[in-house]
Amino acid sequence: MRRGTDDGTGRQSAAEGGRAWRHVLRRMFGMPDYEAYLEHCRAAGHPPTLDEREYVAEFFESKGKGVRCC
Amino acid sequence: MQPLASLLVWSGISVLGAAAFGVLALSRGETVNAAWLLTAAVCTYAVGYRFYSKFLASRVFGLDDRRATPAERFNNGRDFVPTNKWVLFGHHFAAIAGAGPLVGPVLAAQFGFLPGTLWLVIGVVLGGAVQDFVILFCSLRRDGKSLGQMAKEEVNPAAGATAMLAVLFIMIILLAVLALIVVNALKASPWGLFTIACTIPIALLMGWWMKRWRPGSVGEASAVGAVLLLGALVAGGWVAGQPHLAPLFTHSATALTWMMMGYGFIASVLPVWMLLCPRDYLSTFLKIATILVLAIAILVILPPLRMPALTPFASLGEGPVFAGKLFPFAFITIACGAISGFHSLVASGTTPKMIARESDARLIGYGGMLMESFVGVMAMIAACTLEPGVYFAMNTTPAALAQASQVLGQAGFVVTPEFMRELAARMGETTLLARSGGAPSLAVGIAQIFAGATSVLGGKTLDALWYHFAIMFEALFILTTIDTGTRVGRFMLQEIVGHVWPRFAETSWYPSVIASSALVVAGWGYFLYQGVVDPLGGINSLWPLFGISNQLLAAVALCVGTTILIKMGRGRFAWVTAAPLAWLVTVTMTAGWQKVFSADPRLGFLAHAASLAGSANPDTARLIFNDRLNTFVALLFMTIVTVLIVTSLREWWLVLSRRKTAVVHEAPYVETGYATGD
Repeated sequence: MRRGTDDGTGRQSAAEGGRAWRHVLRRMFGMPDYEAYLEHCRAAGHPPTLDEREYVAEFFESKGKGVRCC
Repeated sequence: MQPLASLLVWSGISVLGAAAFGVLALSRGETVNAAWLLTAAVCTYAVGYRFYSKFLASRVFGLDDRRATPAERFNNGRDFVPTNKWVLFGHHFAAIAGAGPLVGPVLAAQFGFLPGTLWLVIGVVLGGAVQDFVILFCSLRRDGKSLGQMAKEEVNPAAGATAMLAVLFIMIILLAVLALIVVNALKASPWGLFTIACTIPIALLMGWWMKRWRPGSVGEASAVGAVLLLGALVAGGWVAGQPHLAPLFTHSATALTWMMMGYGFIASVLPVWMLLCPRDYLSTFLKIATILVLAIAILVILPPLRMPALTPFASLGEGPVFAGKLFPFAFITIACGAISGFHSLVASGTTPKMIARESDARLIGYGGMLMESFVGVMAMIAACTLEPGVYFAMNTTPAALAQASQVLGQAGFVVTPEFMRELAARMGETTLLARSGGAPSLAVGIAQIFAGATSVLGGKTLDALWYHFAIMFEALFILTTIDTGTRVGRFMLQEIVGHVWPRFAETSWYPSVIASSALVVAGWGYFLYQGVVDPLGGINSLWPLFGISNQLLAAVALCVGTTILIKMGRGRFAWVTAAPLAWLVTVTMTAGWQKVFSADPRLGFLAHAASLAGSANPDTARLIFNDRLNTFVALLFMTIVTVLIVTSLREWWLVLSRRKTAVVHEAPYVETGYATGD
């Protein structure tokens, strides 16, 4: 494992690691992840079409249409 | 791994699994340790995953990582999102594993631990996991289309309509039987009812937190919810001990039935973020945590199985939990955990829209189902660690217990009233007799295992707390299924009626929302009420109907899978889906026939109705009507299976005999933008 240096790369990589784990847990448990949506929009090269409240509302609405098994 | 080392490792796993099966099958009269059951299951899963799923992935389906998946092609950062396969495995597992793999094996323990375990382990490797995998694969190649859409396009429109009807019927019966389990667990239980009642304000608080106060902060809201839930669990014990508070939470099964129906209606009508979503998160966290802890506790304690490998009820067919012989009833009693048609809805729902590479479908579809089967095996272990006398006393009505008393006595499955009173007191209940439905006996089994684990770790044996924790755990995700199931049933009804009255299909039009919710709740509520007042306990008639309907849906899924394989020019491999289909049709038809036409009044609906004729009981007319209604439902399911099989067979014959050109409705091939490692 690479150790952090005085220029803050250690803190930065820890923050990145934390963010990655947050994405993993949110995706696994079916939680809304607005950060990931913004990253997707950045990568796709278009501005986000939904603000955070709209995104969360739409996410919960579509979750309500999903099926849970017996 | 080197070929020789691989050969040695897999030979060792196979021999170990075979030896474990040998111990289970040959032990008679002596106590068997749960370790053998776990070893047999895990070795079989390992061999099945390593060899059979690989064969399916490469030879039968021809999974191709160079082909872009719907998640890659339609990536919108919302529904279609390429997702890491382990993350998606967890997501898929959380969606498919509910109360079914816990309750079915507990009920099937009436036959002994061996039949149910064999069906769980063999059924999943050759049937259930294949069904989930094939539907996931088919949906993946069709832009994430649903089972109904695929049935309509690939088989014919009649099959599509059949699939939709099957889903609606299964939903009604499923919700009734699950609600019955909760009602039986909570009747006359102030501790249990208080804890579950508290989940409603807790969920409302969580909903407000993650939607209004801090949008999207599900983790925070869930952590607060979990702490409050555990507080409610502890407080429940105190409430149950207060003479002026306990009666407020002590209700009969009939009263709980009306409460349940009211709850289902409100949950279906309220905005989804208010009650459904927060409860869903809470139950998902609790489910995964409890299953993990249960697995660890079983591995630490390795409890002995008190239930014999086979009980007399396997061949007599006069079991007090439910009537009918091992064949066919063991195979419809355990659906989830072995093969469950409901999974095909999840495998053609959100999961195919999130798969990053085609080869990931193997782990998610096949592997996810193996994991669910493992949950079923743990439930079987928990039930079979109970003394058989306790198991039968808890899962049987007094009337059925009296009928089976001779066989129970001969088998040595007896328990004294003093022992049951002492056990109930230890679990913080006034009585544990006649708590049919499987949940309370599973809760006692889990409580004993957890209490054993905390004892090993040096803590106190908190039987009552663990018992109510297990009840809360089961009731919480059953109620989540009731929330989501009523809502999904409402959407389906709106869609069906919308064909003749388009306004009704508008999901935001409140008159339609209220009317369709009321109709769906009335549908499952009717069956629930009849189950509650049934002198034989309700589970006897409702669980087999649920099993038949669930397996019917699995038959729909396997028909679609077989049709697609044939159309893809892989007819020589069609046996991978056709063989489990043939088995399911045999089982479903035999069970349906026996439930309708058996001359035994405990088994056959018509014989039961005939036995009531001329009775002085004031409820006779209602009981006879219910028997006739159950007959109609069973015959309807059998007719649907027949229609589906005939239409599918015709389609297969037309394609195989080249009378019809095979047209597959796969999405066009698009090369992936990801590195494939080629």
